[in-house]
Amino acid sequence: MSDHIALRPGAAPVTNTVATTEPPLIRWLLIGIALGFLGLMLIVPLIAVFTKALEAGMALYLRAILDPAALAAVRLTLLTVAVAIPLNTIFGLAAAWAIAKFEFKGKNLLITLIDLPFAVSPVIAGLIFVSLFGVKGLLGPWLAAQGLKIIFAPPGIILATVFVTFPFVARELIPLMHSLGTVEEEAALILGASGWKTFWHITLPNIKWGLLYGVILTSARAAGEFGAVSVVSGHIRGLTNTLPLHVEILYNEYQFVAAFAVASLLTLMAVITLVAKSIVEWKVQQQLEEAQKK
Amino acid sequence: MPLRPLEIKKYSILPGFGLTMGFTLMYMGFLVVLPLSTVFIQTAGIDWTQFWNIVAAPRLVASYKLSFGAAFIAALINTIFGLLVAWVLVRYSFPGKRVIDGLIDLPFALPTAVAGITLTTLYAPHGWLGKYFTFLALKAAFTPLGVVIALTFIGLPFVVRMVQPVLETLDQEREEAAASLGADRLQTFTKVIFPELLPALLAGFALAFARALGEYGSVVFISGNMPMRTEITPLLIMTKLEQFDYAGANAIASVMLIVSFMLLLLVNILQWWSINRHTDH
Amino acid sequence: MSIEIRNINKQFGSFTALKDINLKISTGELVALLGPSGSGKTTLLRIIAGLEVANQGCILFNGEDATSRNVQQRHVGFVFQHYALFRHMTVSENIAFGLKVRPRHTRPSAKEIQAKVQQLLDLIKLEGLANRYPTQLSGGQRQRVALARALAVEPQVLLLDEPFGALDAKVRKELRRWLRRLHDELHVTSVFVTHDQEEALDVADRIVILNDGQIEQMGTPEEVYEHPKSSFVYDFLGNVNLFHGRIHQGRVSIGSIELDVPEYADAVDKQAVSYVRPYNIEIEREAQGQEFIPARILFIRSVGPIVHLELKREDTGDLVEAELSKERYQALQLKAGENVFVKPKDLKIFIHEDYCI
Repeated sequence: MSDHIALRPGAAPVTNTVATTEPPLIRWLLIGIALGFLGLMLIVPLIAVFTKALEAGMALYLRAILDPAALAAVRLTLLTVAVAIPLNTIFGLAAAWAIAKFEFKGKNLLITLIDLPFAVSPVIAGLIFVSLFGVKGLLGPWLAAQGLKIIFAPPGIILATVFVTFPFVARELIPLMHSLGTVEEEAALILGASGWKTFWHITLPNIKWGLLYGVILTSARAAGEFGAVSVVSGHIRGLTNTLPLHVEILYNEYQFVAAFAVASLLTLMAVITLVAKSIVEWKVQQQLEEAQKK
Repeated sequence: MPLRPLEIKKYSILPGFGLTMGFTLMYMGFLVVLPLSTVFIQTAGIDWTQFWNIVAAPRLVASYKLSFGAAFIAALINTIFGLLVAWVLVRYSFPGKRVIDGLIDLPFALPTAVAGITLTTLYAPHGWLGKYFTFLALKAAFTPLGVVIALTFIGLPFVVRMVQPVLETLDQEREEAAASLGADRLQTFTKVIFPELLPALLAGFALAFARALGEYGSVVFISGNMPMRTEITPLLIMTKLEQFDYAGANAIASVMLIVSFMLLLLVNILQWWSINRHTDH
Repeated sequence: MSIEIRNINKQFGSFTALKDINLKISTGELVALLGPSGSGKTTLLRIIAGLEVANQGCILFNGEDATSRNVQQRHVGFVFQHYALFRHMTVSENIAFGLKVRPRHTRPSAKEIQAKVQQLLDLIKLEGLANRYPTQLSGGQRQRVALARALAVEPQVLLLDEPFGALDAKVRKELRRWLRRLHDELHVTSVFVTHDQEEALDVADRIVILNDGQIEQMGTPEEVYEHPKSSFVYDFLGNVNLFHGRIHQGRVSIGSIELDVPEYADAVDKQAVSYVRPYNIEIEREAQGQEFIPARILFIRSVGPIVHLELKREDTGDLVEAELSKERYQALQLKAGENVFVKPKDLKIFIHEDYCI
């Protein structure tokens, strides 16, 4: 379930005939209402972010971005992304291989469990790690005795981020690998290839676009997560602030221009994600069309 | 976890089932199941009366009303406009359609904190859009109306993305059949097209609703967080945590989790229904 | 109701689907629109129904101009290739749909609708399946429900798009006989589209053969089969052997033989192609005259009363298909690999200008 930007390949254009369309007046009225709604809800906020960021000129914009606290937030955000990507990619590949290539009991339950982080409020995603590792958490006293700090420290931020982003790669790969089937892998194995060779030379080239898209989504969400990270961070400036948390602090301190300047970086990342989605969607569709032609 | 009898149902020559499945279960066990179960372990540490006192406190009840009410209204708005947007994107052509289609996912891709500060700035009394509300003697930001606006924004893609593929694969011959039998366009829509879209609409509604219930980042800025008036339930979990009241936070979280699971179950049932309906009596 | 089609032209972008189609269909007729895929037959049917609008030309129902009427106003019954049954409605709800969507003042009462549905269920012999959903029916049953649904509104014209296309061979044969009987009972003017010449020959009163958006020929099944007007029609209706040759002053030379063709007496050294049906290939062990061609038997299929042979001409190397009766085959005692002589009878010759395949 979730805030998950699924790929939608294979969308054939629908051709209207006389009997299946509406009079032009109604058509344009519906298009007008829909575009008006989308313009108000999506386009105006998008424009607003950049306008507010650049309102006070380029110099202030750059100063906000190059501020040491902002740069520290960028570093922590990049670290979080760098940990979340490999972990969740390996998990996604393993889960998709097991789920898409084999039939077993309890498969639907497993898929539902993978979706769970989507169904859970980000605040709860943070809460569970505080309850586990915080000062009054289940493992808190033990951690304190060892001198380890997870909550209000980078490890907590990384854990919460890995939790909220772990379904993305798996959710991209499961349907893709399922629709590609097992025929090519079986052929390779019959021809004598080992399991690893088969995966490396047959499966991976087939799923590379879907995998790439999963990774893009993981990094976008990992960099942008707010609620869960906010719970475990403790908002220690320069130490446990990620970019979204930095935006919040600046905003709450009434430094609106700086807040929007940093926000514009995150918005740019979102726009790049959407563009990447369009490209990958197109690539995957091509690949599926070719697979059908075979 | 009731997943132990993971036997392969169909023999396969592909290797790696044991390895990948083992890793998957271990990873999920440590990262998802174990942490999530702490919510219930922590909640179990208090008795029923305490639990009830926490989750039925007036401030919380007010937050339930706001969270459920605003999430419901936002999901309803998104269902109506989502159907319209999906219809327009699938059935009509107009300049810029590809870009608009790509932009639908913006609320998923945009960090919620950014959405929060942007919407607040836009709908503040002197903001670009807020001034029109002021003109109508209404206030958007820092009122329940603002919460509805933020929740509508973050839930916008769900219905569109659920309905779009169904509309794309809908066989237009059925519409032609209805027309050849004398049905006008409105009758064709209500009697032939709409029943086909209903499961996707309901699933989209449930997803948007569930997402809106748990949403935090985009709401906390625009709501103003006034006790009894504009506090959402996730914010109260946050407040309890800041007071190091883990039991209280977890008690509220367990209530929310149960609601989320029920919604997740509902979505799965709806999807199962849409695949299997009309095949049995 | 009679249908008249005048000068219909239809373009899809730069592609011309129909070129100047003129056609009259009289009341109670059962007409087949026959042609290969892309010939425009389905487009023509959809234009008659009002599902598609022609770029030029007009459609007359009973002599009245119906061109500007939309599909709802034309009151035609249309049966779709893939049936287009409403999945969320039962069989009886599907059949009742056309009556239920009528405006209140012309809508029959619930009782009358119920009676009509019952009557149609009897007609299609699916009385027991009224409450089933379409996905619970077989292909043949769905086809009959689609037909009943179209008939429920008592159309004066019934249009069927590849009505048997999606069915397997056995059901297809049964259903087309049934459709023929049904038509004889109801006498609704009917037009159906097919790419299967056997189906058209078997069922229709009249066949209209389309190719490349134009009518190649129309006539009764006997007329079009026995007297094809063009090489396309000859080739399209049934198996055929091609003999390439030259024609000069009433004589055609095909490989090593020459034959008289009086109808081309004034042709001067033209390329010609001759068509011969496999059952018009005569086979002898010895040449019985000038008109026999030496050939070698490549393959014999002797299942059933007709024996099929594939031969290779010794003079040109072309392949020839032949059909013999079992008795004749046994009398000749033919075996694969043997050398024999073949004589084409009943040649149909087209000179090169009008030959294009």
